[in-house]
Amino acid sequence: MSGREPPEPELVVEIWRGRESGEFVPYRVARRENQTVLDVVSHVQRRIDPTLSYRFACRVGMCGSCAMTVNGIPRWTCRTRVDRVAGNGRVRIGPLRNMPVIRDLAVDMAPFFDKWQRATGRFVPSDADNRRTFARVPPGSRERQAADAGIECIGCGVCYAACDVVAWNSDYLGPAALNRVWTLVNDSRDGARREHLAAAAGDAGCHQCHSHQACMSYCPKGLNPTAAIAGLKRETVKSLLRGEL
Amino acid sequence: MTDNTVAYRKTDILILGSGGAGLFAALHAHKAAPDLDITVAVKGLLGKCGCTRMVQGGYNVAIGTGDSVERHFMDTVEGGKWLNDQDLAWTLITTAIERIHELENELGCFFDRNADGSVHLKAFAGQTYDRTVHKGDLTGIEIINRLAEQTWARRIDRMEEHRAIALIPARDGGRISGVLLVDVRDGRFHFVQAKAVLLAAGGGPTMYRYHTPSGDKTCDGMAMALRAGLTLRDMEMVQFHPTGLIAGRDTRITGTIIEEGLRGAGGHLLNGNHERFMTSYDPRGERATRDIVSRAMFEEMRQGRTGPNDGLFITMRHLDRDLVRRQFKGMVERCADCGFDLAGGLVEVVPTAHYIMGGVVFDTSCRTSLEGLFAAGEDTGGVHGANRLGGNGVANSTVFGGIAGDTMGPWVEKSGAFADPDRSAIDAAVAHGLRPFAKPRGDLLDMRERLEDIMWDDAGIIRDPERLHRAREALSGLGEELAETGVATSDRAFNLTWHDWLNLDSLILVSRVIVEAALARENSRGAHFRDDFPEEGDLATSYFTTARLDGERIGVGTAPVEFSRVRPGETLIREEAETAAA
Repeated sequence: MSGREPPEPELVVEIWRGRESGEFVPYRVARRENQTVLDVVSHVQRRIDPTLSYRFACRVGMCGSCAMTVNGIPRWTCRTRVDRVAGNGRVRIGPLRNMPVIRDLAVDMAPFFDKWQRATGRFVPSDADNRRTFARVPPGSRERQAADAGIECIGCGVCYAACDVVAWNSDYLGPAALNRVWTLVNDSRDGARREHLAAAAGDAGCHQCHSHQACMSYCPKGLNPTAAIAGLKRETVKSLLRGEL
Repeated sequence: MTDNTVAYRKTDILILGSGGAGLFAALHAHKAAPDLDITVAVKGLLGKCGCTRMVQGGYNVAIGTGDSVERHFMDTVEGGKWLNDQDLAWTLITTAIERIHELENELGCFFDRNADGSVHLKAFAGQTYDRTVHKGDLTGIEIINRLAEQTWARRIDRMEEHRAIALIPARDGGRISGVLLVDVRDGRFHFVQAKAVLLAAGGGPTMYRYHTPSGDKTCDGMAMALRAGLTLRDMEMVQFHPTGLIAGRDTRITGTIIEEGLRGAGGHLLNGNHERFMTSYDPRGERATRDIVSRAMFEEMRQGRTGPNDGLFITMRHLDRDLVRRQFKGMVERCADCGFDLAGGLVEVVPTAHYIMGGVVFDTSCRTSLEGLFAAGEDTGGVHGANRLGGNGVANSTVFGGIAGDTMGPWVEKSGAFADPDRSAIDAAVAHGLRPFAKPRGDLLDMRERLEDIMWDDAGIIRDPERLHRAREALSGLGEELAETGVATSDRAFNLTWHDWLNLDSLILVSRVIVEAALARENSRGAHFRDDFPEEGDLATSYFTTARLDGERIGVGTAPVEFSRVRPGETLIREEAETAAA
């Protein structure tokens, strides 16, 4: 770039203002090198309209606080470069779908985390007295690879917002919670396999999934919740047939 | 008419913060005393904001064959330049062994393994032994996700997006009665009365131009402690991480860490001429401690040998690129998202403010001088001394968080009581918090940037009295300016600009304390370097600085370090002690 052409390149960004009802409001934002969607939102709040509400924390894709809907697609905004999404110089930013809007771009993630619990998304020690050793699990082993497959979930809610089944059935546990259960089912150190499978097999569980694969397409970490849910479908059916559930 | 009403509620134990310290405290307090009402209040979402989650490197613990707690302790004290409270450091190192097994076996963290299935211990800068347990380079996510899940599963109340703004003493003084908070979502005030309060809100030196911590971090815990009359120690000790990313103007990601393990694994630092320079500053080269590397980089930058964004470069391209991609997956992906090739190219970096070693004076059971107030994590001082080793940070928060829970549960059952709050303290804190709504709108971003420039230029990596006095004056002016600066709207619901104001309010106070402590230390130790006193001074008569708020004035003092376990020149490592004696 020569950096000589005036005026400074600009981006037209439309941002959702309001709660459940509201409107998209246009702003003009200066383009910057390496600018992310979060940088654009921050620019609007800090330099144009101080009343804009949004949420972010770590700014590097670790906390999963800043996901929003960008041109119709749920994305982590701190790691989404404007270059990637602003083909025609316009960007439309709204709150995530499938969660109540608190204000503007900030949503209430409580239902998302409540479902993580309802799905029994938590480790249960198989040997509660083990205080001094680490289970010997070679990194190349099948059990470790399976447990690792979905473990790097940051709980950003992108898959949950992308999921049509969640939109149709607000009880559905959703991709992230089920993905977590699948990592636990595969974790050879976990002592509650049956409980995890039972929770996943329930009315709001894995069998509701229609395999649209939106979760997999949009997961910013490249995880595949659809495959995890397919695994749960298989294992829950097997367990049912064996009379274990 | 401004709504200054305050909603009241009660809980037996109130925990401020949901990082490693806050969540471990909640879990341990619940385990120790299951009948108690425990509430975690946090500025953002539970487990999502804060810095534990951002831990990349890992968790130091002396469990390797041939390693020992004595060796880990000596590394910690040598790294801390003999300023550590040795009992706190000893507690850290011995309890870390218990805590790492708890993380793996009870909470479900699945740390990385060697090929034979045993736990992998990696090398980390400034340590004499490979002792860092990790989960790839995203250790913090694994730890905090598992902690949050276990917290959600228990009868532990959450007040998410509730920002604490004042510790409220009891009406008759002598103890704490509770905490005043703002509900970020609707902007209303809440007073939570509690028998015990844990200050575990974290630190985060975000008053510097380049900084690593999460965006929500603004030293609120330390600011509240100062206003409640507590003494802080070691506040001149601000650690700079050598490698923060530079992505350009107005980018939130600028300042965030490019992982230290890259240097441990053989990464090179290059100046603007693409030449290695670390070996001319320290024989350990890139693996020297954070303070030495940061200073060397600052020196290169002062000499003008910089890249396009005034930074330097890190490169891994002389190493096995596939191995780098595998070993530092998260880091490589992050750089790729920003347009940089970490495995095969050059990434522009700058030293970046990372951690405050100083904090509230506390003891090995996490008690503070204010009855009923406990503290753990980065809000506290004394554990790390003048410099924190990479990998000792998450050990610190989880070790002392757990201890705080162990202490508070039984303490509340035995001697805890609800104390009547000092109503005038609540009223004063409410009035202070509402102040910007009565003032004309100002440019808070500009003020934040000026603060960051003052601290970076005049109270940063290399200090001298002239610069520090200039910073003192500038901070004083900035504080007065903030008091007359308002926010644009009276609507307090999810009003980030109001919180920008409150953030600046905390940061300016803590910045003033950093400057005063830096003036008081007339030698150079660890993270603190004075151009006019470049020597470390006599180790045997080491002292630490103390600071407290006295009205509007900051009172600074010094106190001798008590060498309760080992004296400078001695060691606790048996084989080395024997060699020295022979």
